[in-house]
Amino acid sequence: MGHVCTKIMKAARVITEKYYPCLGNDFHTNKHVCEIAHLMKRTQAPLGLLSLLLPPFSAAAPISPAEPIRQAYSLALYMQKNTSTLLQTYLQYQGSPFSDPGFSAPELQLSSLPSAAVSFKTWHALEDGERLSHAQGAFLALTQHLQLVGDDQIDLNPGSPILLAQLGAARLRAQGLLGNMAAIMTALGLPIPPEEDTLGPVPFGASAFERKCRGYIVTREYGHWTDRAVRDLALLKAKYPA
Amino acid sequence: MMDASFCVGRPSWMADRRRMKTSSGFQWLLSSFVLLYVVNQVNSQKKGAPHDLTCTTSNLRMWDCSWKAPAGHGALYEVCVVNRFNSCYPSVKTSIKIPALSPGDHEVTINPLRDVRSSISKFVLNEENISFIPDAPEILNLSADFSTSTIHIKWNDKGSLFPHHSNVVWQFKILHKERMDIITLVTHNTTLNGKDTVHHWSWTSDLPLECATHSVRMRCYVDDPHFSGHKEWSNWTPPKNISWSPEPQPKALPLDRVLLVGSDITICCVTREKIVSALVGNKPYPLIHLEGENIAIKIHDISPSDSSGTNVVFVTETTNMCGTVFFAGYPPDIPQNLSCETHDLKEILCTWSPGRVTKLVGPRDTSYTLLESFSGKNATFKRAEDPQNGSYQLFFQIIPSQEIYNFTLHARNPLGQSESTVLLNITERVHPHTPTSFKVKDINSTAVTLSWHLSGNFAKSNLLCQIEINRSNSVQELLNVTVRGAENSSYLVEVGKLNPYTNYTFRIRCAGESFWKWSSWTTGERHLTIEAVPSKGPDTWREWSSDGKNLIIYWKPLPINEANGRILSYNVSYSSEEETQSLSEISDRQHKAELQLDRNDYIISVVAKNSVGSSPPSRIASMELPHDKLKTEQAVGIGNEIFLSWDYDPNMTCDYVIKWCNSSGPGPCLMDWKKVPSNSTEAVIESDQFRPGVRYSFFLYGCKNQGYQLLRSVIGYIEELAPVVAPNFTVEDTSSDSILVKWEDIPVEELRGFLRGYLFYFGKGERGTSKMRGLESGRSDVKIKNITDLNQKTLRIADLQGKTSYHLVLRAYTDGGIGPEKSMYVVTKENSVGLIIAILIPVAVAIMVGVVTSVLCYRKREWIKETFYPDIPNPENCKALQFQKSVCEGNSALKTLEMNPCTPNNVEVLESRSVVPKIEDTEIVSPVTEHPEESSEADAGNPVVVSYCPPIIEEGDEAGGASQVVYIDVQSMYQPQAKPEEEQESEPAGGSGYKPQMHLPVTSAVEEAPADDDLDKTAGYRPQANVNTWNLVSPDSPRSTDSNSELVSFGSPCSINSRQFLIPPKDEDSPKSSGGGWSFTNFFQNKPND
Repeated sequence: MGHVCTKIMKAARVITEKYYPCLGNDFHTNKHVCEIAHLMKRTQAPLGLLSLLLPPFSAAAPISPAEPIRQAYSLALYMQKNTSTLLQTYLQYQGSPFSDPGFSAPELQLSSLPSAAVSFKTWHALEDGERLSHAQGAFLALTQHLQLVGDDQIDLNPGSPILLAQLGAARLRAQGLLGNMAAIMTALGLPIPPEEDTLGPVPFGASAFERKCRGYIVTREYGHWTDRAVRDLALLKAKYPA
Repeated sequence: MMDASFCVGRPSWMADRRRMKTSSGFQWLLSSFVLLYVVNQVNSQKKGAPHDLTCTTSNLRMWDCSWKAPAGHGALYEVCVVNRFNSCYPSVKTSIKIPALSPGDHEVTINPLRDVRSSISKFVLNEENISFIPDAPEILNLSADFSTSTIHIKWNDKGSLFPHHSNVVWQFKILHKERMDIITLVTHNTTLNGKDTVHHWSWTSDLPLECATHSVRMRCYVDDPHFSGHKEWSNWTPPKNISWSPEPQPKALPLDRVLLVGSDITICCVTREKIVSALVGNKPYPLIHLEGENIAIKIHDISPSDSSGTNVVFVTETTNMCGTVFFAGYPPDIPQNLSCETHDLKEILCTWSPGRVTKLVGPRDTSYTLLESFSGKNATFKRAEDPQNGSYQLFFQIIPSQEIYNFTLHARNPLGQSESTVLLNITERVHPHTPTSFKVKDINSTAVTLSWHLSGNFAKSNLLCQIEINRSNSVQELLNVTVRGAENSSYLVEVGKLNPYTNYTFRIRCAGESFWKWSSWTTGERHLTIEAVPSKGPDTWREWSSDGKNLIIYWKPLPINEANGRILSYNVSYSSEEETQSLSEISDRQHKAELQLDRNDYIISVVAKNSVGSSPPSRIASMELPHDKLKTEQAVGIGNEIFLSWDYDPNMTCDYVIKWCNSSGPGPCLMDWKKVPSNSTEAVIESDQFRPGVRYSFFLYGCKNQGYQLLRSVIGYIEELAPVVAPNFTVEDTSSDSILVKWEDIPVEELRGFLRGYLFYFGKGERGTSKMRGLESGRSDVKIKNITDLNQKTLRIADLQGKTSYHLVLRAYTDGGIGPEKSMYVVTKENSVGLIIAILIPVAVAIMVGVVTSVLCYRKREWIKETFYPDIPNPENCKALQFQKSVCEGNSALKTLEMNPCTPNNVEVLESRSVVPKIEDTEIVSPVTEHPEESSEADAGNPVVVSYCPPIIEEGDEAGGASQVVYIDVQSMYQPQAKPEEEQESEPAGGSGYKPQMHLPVTSAVEEAPADDDLDKTAGYRPQANVNTWNLVSPDSPRSTDSNSELVSFGSPCSINSRQFLIPPKDEDSPKSSGGGWSFTNFFQNKPND
């Protein structure tokens, strides 16, 4: 008796801690929250990703921005979960000192890749259109850079399918997010910026060290931009509730 | 010049062009060889005369001679070589060039023409005293390949200036410009061939050239074998620099270098910022300062890199980072186990394994090229077709009309190359694919056609194929066939000598004509050959039915190899001399037919039929020839067979037949038969049906004149066993000294062998004893009789004792062993005379003893009385002891100091609300106590309290934990010492609870009577109620003080176990009581129930 009771108490505590904001005074509501929590644990995210990646261009007629925002937000949240894994995996394959624990070189930057860092005031003052076009530009650049990094790694680490797969997946997600953002802009009636070649002439002669650093910057910025996109979309989501 | 720069670009060609001809060597004249030497002055010098003549040469053709002379304007000298046809050369200076003189001494005169004060000077010149100092060479071109850190130097040897072919040593000096450290000093040898030749020399720097400015200088030494004078090095050329304009960003060099594991490398960082640390991987290295802020590190004995290379990182003051990567690995190993073969004569497949891992991947990985030297064609290994199980493979298209191939596999990576060669005749390396579309087709019942398809261009050769023929339940057979090859063709082969209607499994594999490797087997193809006519008629036998009217024909089903198909039916026909008759068709399941024949002789023929046709008939004669009276013989088998033999009889013209059956089996005697050719005289009969211990009958028939004659009759066992039962025996007659025993035969089925005799055991023994157990162990008192006469059925055992129990045992035995025993106990009859004597003698003896004793006692009676029972005085007769007799007799209660049995009194007293004191048994719960749980928690606070606690004294055997009231001393008032304090306190409050009898109103028993009702209700202690009855029983109880009895016995250390009285009968029945009120005792008692 006592053992079961302890278990229930423990489970209850976990649920209360994790889903505190969802819980209310109504028992039935709380029961539902618990069920959802259970479902969330069971349904693995990749399944959800497929539906998120579906092109949202199906309807030609103007649609409510809430739906594409929700979709984009979910995808961005999902991407956010994997960015640090991607960065860690990437660094792990570049050898020491890249693979050393706690490696960080914030001073490394790529001129062709816009930085996600922005002051909060500036960010907050941005118009929806600006905000979206910043993110769109960044993710456009990221998709191209991720492709480049993938190619670099085929030379440097041809025997590491895990890394190559993760880079490929990240590129695909970035493309998916681009599509979602385009849908939001369409829904909001904003002009979609034209796709441009952000990479410019590819520096083919880059040395292995430069390639490694480049890859590091791209995977790092991918994470930063994803974080920023989550915030952007959360803001939009609040603005355009369903 | 064009040529020269071309050569710089291609250093590998330098050696080939070293002796390149240069048409113009004239520029060499400009360079000069300088040397100083003092020539011997022959004559004593006069003041003002030319002196100190010294000559040197730079090219061995002209000598530069100079002398010292007093200064004078417009001086003109005439230099004459005396013994050379007096050739004289005018000179206005104190030096002159003269053509080289031949070896030996030459007299030279210098005559100052215009200076009258001076006189002629004479000198002796010899080549040995001349110094040969070549002119300093001129560097035509100095270039650097920064990517490889290589410096290329190009210069002209000006060979046309020298008269002879001679060796030249060139020396190069490379140094860092700023610090003037000599990095290297290298010599390089060439020869002069009389023509101007441009030479190249390259040097690779350990340190990347960008890291520091390198200066290059060179000089030469001409080793002319014909020159006997002194040879010296030329002067150094002026330094030429190689420099690099650095970029603003720090840059680490060299980039992406591929290195051999274990080698050393110097890595530098070209920077304008101060470098604070350098890391290789995560290991810091000491910094070597170069010019400016440039830093180098030197890494020794490099270990293999990861796939992405080893990182080298320099960190600047401003935490800026620059870095580079190098890849340390190994050159490719020699390709191992290179072998080539062809599957289809269209492509050659070469396989190899790469050997040692190079540790280099991606673009640095080993590339393989397969080159065929006769045709000059090659094939390149592509990374996509990656190694399967560690071996690499490459396809090479076969060249028509070429059979011999010489393959060289080149393995190349940035660190080196290796190769492996194989020479082969491709027609001898044919390893065909597994044949496909393998099919089997019938030709007839004993032959089939096998067909298969084999892709490949075998048009010019034959194919060797192997066919495996597997017959079910038989050994496999291998058949080698050679088929004419064709291109992508199907092939056919006929396979004969098969058995009809037999299951075969065929499979096939092929190889080239000159065998190299078999292909894999095709999957087995099962095939049933078609049927043929049965090859033989069935094996037949006939038996006359028991009434002798019908002849039953038996036949055996044909074995599969004779049936040649599925037998559908049998035809039986019989013919006499007159007629032939046929029975209707008999189904294949039936293997006998009954014929009603008259006593004529018939020949019966049986024919088996399958779908193809009928077998040849097997014939058998119906006639039974008379035979002599036969004696039944016995036979025992060996193993699983029985051997029969007989004498040769020339009269027997056809087969012998042995038929057999189970002797004891029902029906006609026919289990099986066997035919033996007429010329044999023995037969071994074997059957799966033979069982050990079963008797079989065998009959041998001989056949002559188309009739059968019984020749022998044999009974036998395949193996004899011991009988399963014992012979039944009875005792026919018993006397006092003999027993007659009679027994019966054992049935044949239970005998299980030929009976060889009986064993009869007898000995003394009674039923239930184990005396006869050791019958066979040869006990002396057990007698054994072996009866081998099988006809004997009785036995008389004599010389026995009368009236004795005998144990008789009878067992039968065969060659297979002794059967079980049958035993019996027999008591022989009494011997009457002996018995009478045995009774009479003891009786007589007893009488005699009695008489003698009587007489003796009578004679000595006085002595006996004195000894055994003298007279004793009787106290009964004493008058003094007759007091109080009446009292003693009248009242038994009046006795002094009678000890009463002391029985402990078990009491538990609970206080209740009732006014009337209650005293309860410990095991009984007060019915008043309505909430036992509450009371248990409330303890002393509850009004219902335990008014009496168990005293310290406990008796283990009493009901667990029962309290006892102990009356220590009745007279000293009741004082329960073990009573807890609180109970004492509560006692006055309620006025209830246990009160010892002394506290109770002792006034009268009358008062007790009305209280009875209350007591009944409250279940109080009420021994008093029964005082009347009790009084009689236990007058010592305290209550007895109230009795009318005058005699109260005080001071008895006695307590009362008033258990039975304490339990009110009402409570016993009360269901509540069982619910359990709370008490200490309950607590303990109930505990086990929990």
